[in-house]
Amino acid sequence: MSRRVLLHVGTPKTGTSHLQDVLFRNRERLLEAGVLYPADRFDAHFLAALDLMRLPWGGLETEAIGAWDELAAKVRAHEGTAIISHEILATASRSQVGRALASLGHDDGTEVHVVVSVRDLVRQIPAEWQENVKHRSTITFERFLAELRDPERATRIATWFWGVQEIPEILDRWGHALPPERVHVVTVPPPGGPRDLLWQRFSHTFGLDELGEVELDLEAERANPSLGVPETALLRRINKAVNPVLEPPDYRPLVRELLAHQTLSARTRSARLGLPADVHPWAEELGHAWVEELRRRGYDVVGDLDDLTGAPAAPHWADPDSPRESQVASAAVDAIRALLIDNARLRHEEARLHGEVDHLRRELDAARPVQRAKERALRVVRRSAAGRALHRAYRLARGRSSRSA
Amino acid sequence: MTAQHDEAEGERRAWAWSAHLLKGGTTPWSRWAGTGERTGRVLPGAQQLEMLRRLNLAAHDLGVRPEPALARRVLEASAPGRGRPDLELLGAAPPSRFGPAPVDPAQLPADELIRVTTSLLAEDLVAAPLPGAVLVPPWRRPGSLVHRWRPRYRLVGDPWRADTARRHLVAQGRPPGGPEPTVLVLGGPLSTMLVDLWTDRSFSTGGPVPSWRTWVDTVVETGRLGRGADPVASARRWTGRVGADRVRVVLDPGALPGQVGVRRVPPAPLLPADATDLARRVGGVLGLLVTPARGRQVLRQVLLPRLLEAPEPLPGAPLGVPPEHHRWVVRRSRRLRHELLAAPYPVVGTVLGSPDALLDHPRRLAGAEPGEPHDDRVLDLAVRMLLEHADPHPAPHAATHAATHADRPRQEDRP
Repeated sequence: MSRRVLLHVGTPKTGTSHLQDVLFRNRERLLEAGVLYPADRFDAHFLAALDLMRLPWGGLETEAIGAWDELAAKVRAHEGTAIISHEILATASRSQVGRALASLGHDDGTEVHVVVSVRDLVRQIPAEWQENVKHRSTITFERFLAELRDPERATRIATWFWGVQEIPEILDRWGHALPPERVHVVTVPPPGGPRDLLWQRFSHTFGLDELGEVELDLEAERANPSLGVPETALLRRINKAVNPVLEPPDYRPLVRELLAHQTLSARTRSARLGLPADVHPWAEELGHAWVEELRRRGYDVVGDLDDLTGAPAAPHWADPDSPRESQVASAAVDAIRALLIDNARLRHEEARLHGEVDHLRRELDAARPVQRAKERALRVVRRSAAGRALHRAYRLARGRSSRSA
Repeated sequence: MTAQHDEAEGERRAWAWSAHLLKGGTTPWSRWAGTGERTGRVLPGAQQLEMLRRLNLAAHDLGVRPEPALARRVLEASAPGRGRPDLELLGAAPPSRFGPAPVDPAQLPADELIRVTTSLLAEDLVAAPLPGAVLVPPWRRPGSLVHRWRPRYRLVGDPWRADTARRHLVAQGRPPGGPEPTVLVLGGPLSTMLVDLWTDRSFSTGGPVPSWRTWVDTVVETGRLGRGADPVASARRWTGRVGADRVRVVLDPGALPGQVGVRRVPPAPLLPADATDLARRVGGVLGLLVTPARGRQVLRQVLLPRLLEAPEPLPGAPLGVPPEHHRWVVRRSRRLRHELLAAPYPVVGTVLGSPDALLDHPRRLAGAEPGEPHDDRVLDLAVRMLLEHADPHPAPHAATHAATHADRPRQEDRP
């Protein structure tokens, strides 16, 4: 049974992809140091979270059946420290949290720690809207903000947002059964700070800086890059056009990966998403209330809780619902270019495969007369009882007793 | 009295209500006054507690007693999928500036309770054994002499009808397939094909199925019928693949048995709209528990027979196209008929039956009473199905409950 489990349950857009990438790529080195990151594929913990919370996710849920129990079994079987990390765990209900903790051995003496990485609402709100757009949503930023600010929180968007972003409430659910010193709040530094400060905070929280000789490869291969205002506006328009005709298994590689992550995110000079002047004070005030509450609870804070109040409003705000059309057109040209290049690659691949098929067909044609002759001979032989017996003996001698198709 | 005292009192009241419900009580939260001790790690959510109260109410009406294990499962269940989180009871938890607002559970929309119920129902269905394979006599098995003389077929088109016919034929030892089978494209009035298509999707897993209203609105808005409701497009596609001489569009249901070499083929089951919607919702949860193929088997071989063979016939009208779409359906069915008539034999193959069979008549549509799923009735049905295997003995205090209205305050419910 694991002596210690570090359970990182959120929140989205706080550098979780980078952390998970480092943990996944270094899992063998970590295991040598006694730290288990139980994953045979990069998204193993995501699938386990889907399974625990019974969440559908564009068809991926079928790959998630039984994933949580498998993950928990690996953790229980490990002697030492184990790390689990996925940001959507933030939205787990109390009974799901109870099931998760019990399956990890919480009731049997395992020292479970909950880690939540947090970022101010001023950055999180636009980031979550963008994440929605990257998941096929066509909602405008204005409507998104209105739904978040509605006290009823009745819509799917509001329910999800507050489920994964309302830090005091997430910690209520996940930290309910734990002493405050086993609940760790890692704050994301404000923009403009040292680049590796967040990693240092993660590394300290997960005990990765205490592994002695173990050198971790920190080069990021996977990240969840951000888009600018015109790029997000373009993506929203693309969603409107392709949602009825593009299934999720095609949307993911073509729109989210190729267009959003690989192409549009490279346009770093465009205006960044932010909050409008009339919403900014509300988000800031909420941030202050969270800071006050978290201080009162006495959790272990890695970083500075004041990071949660957010930066002051920018003097100029670019409205993603009314972007500058020339910038959207420029982003669209980049998108078309990327699609054409990818299309050309696929055409070359198609031509290569056609060549391979033709080659195989020719080989098959060449082999066909020999095969036909063999079949004819067999039919003749099997007409007599003696022939059939001979054939049976031949098959037995070859070690095959079943009838050929 | 201090605020802290009130908070503790509210929580004690909630624990007592939870215990009351576990014993089969039906008093609504707003009328509950008793207090008790904490008996668990956390208080169940308002949805789970109210769901158990509704289950107890239904059990009293049916004269059965929910098993204690079922009651505990209800309280421990989490609603699957995206939606509102487990909510606090109004007056039970200390006021908080964070989290969703506490609720009076009796005011929760039925949809929230259906999410909890379908999760439990899906678990029950997965645990139920699948019916064994039908034993086919040796002379009817594929490969037998009799079998070789029968026509070889493949059923496409209206998927709900095709699936019913296929399962019947497999049970008769007449499975589809074989070398160069004739492709039979099943079709009928457009309104029926639309209902059948959504019903077929509701009894499948592998992706979310929108509600009937959302789905049919989208069909009307986009004009895209979907494969199962467009026999002309199906026939076109199949003639392109196998040739016109092997494609038959079957618009006359009476012609089908002759095409597949049997005397009769049963019609597709007709369910009340609420039952179909329940299947859709259960299917959504099954997709999270088992593979799509197994989920489809569970829905069609476990749930469907239970719905069709319910001890009392299920109430409610079968699904129908909403009246505001009647004109569109009539127009579109005329277009389908025209497309079929205009397409020559090499394009759609042989047509069995009159192309008029595709037509929907305004008067017939107006005369029908189209059923549409309703959340309250779907919830009632789901609860009834959860209780199907309940102990038939009435609960000890059923007599006191049976004659009283659920919402009436009752002193005897207090501990």
